[in-house]
Amino acid sequence: MPTIPIVVLVLFSAVLAGVLVLRPAITARPEGKILAFSVLFFLPLFCLLVGMDNEMERSKSTAFCLSCHIMESYGKSLHVDDPTYLAAAHYQNHRVPADEACYTCHTNYAMFGTFKAKLGGLRHLYVYYLGTQPRPEDIKLHEPFNNRECLHCHLGARSFEEGATHNADPATLPAIKANTLSCVSSGCHDVVHNVGHLDKVKLWKEAAQ
Amino acid sequence: MTSTGKMGRRLEISGTLILLGLLVEAICLLWSRPIAFVVFVSLGGMLIGIGVLLFLYSLVTLDQPPNEHIS
Repeated sequence: MPTIPIVVLVLFSAVLAGVLVLRPAITARPEGKILAFSVLFFLPLFCLLVGMDNEMERSKSTAFCLSCHIMESYGKSLHVDDPTYLAAAHYQNHRVPADEACYTCHTNYAMFGTFKAKLGGLRHLYVYYLGTQPRPEDIKLHEPFNNRECLHCHLGARSFEEGATHNADPATLPAIKANTLSCVSSGCHDVVHNVGHLDKVKLWKEAAQ
Repeated sequence: MTSTGKMGRRLEISGTLILLGLLVEAICLLWSRPIAFVVFVSLGGMLIGIGVLLFLYSLVTLDQPPNEHIS
């Protein structure tokens, strides 16, 4: 649901709550009681739920993640004009939705994955506002990247299942699927964001627009 | 303070809390920053939650019919 109708609904509810605060006597009549129940129970909870849903959806957006300046270089890394940059290749070729690029790869595709991602986000906020901000190139994942997040899309894909490198050794593919050999292992897809080297790479033209 | 006056006072407090919570929500919805998400959930949610609970509490504790003897 778009944000503006929700804001209008919230403000409308706030106006009704204001009327009730200024004229509590109207609750003496039956219609006033119905109004009070709507304004003091139903509407605020409805607004809270709809607003929460809106906020949760918005928190998945690439723009939301990149709105913290510490993430700017990670946003820039999506525009590197080099197909070996994993994040850039996914973003530029729409292998992930461009407007939810960060969330698509960095959420956990297990039960409560979204919830865990939000908890991780709260930790980021704590560090951003109250802690010591690391340099962008020093930022590390909370835990090693799980192949599950890659296999969520790539499992069963021909390019993955029949890829020459993946099948050069018969043990490779099962190891990837079992998460015992990481997709981002050294020598494989190990160039992901590499924000420490962005000053040495060419950027895709979209970045200049 | 009479029962009705007490109820009116609680409705005022409840309404004020909900009004503030809704205003916080509206601002957060228009303010697209990560901190807005936290303010929305913590401050907005808390104000609305307390307001609604106070309203429900006032419903169950006031305006009770007088006790009648059952014989």
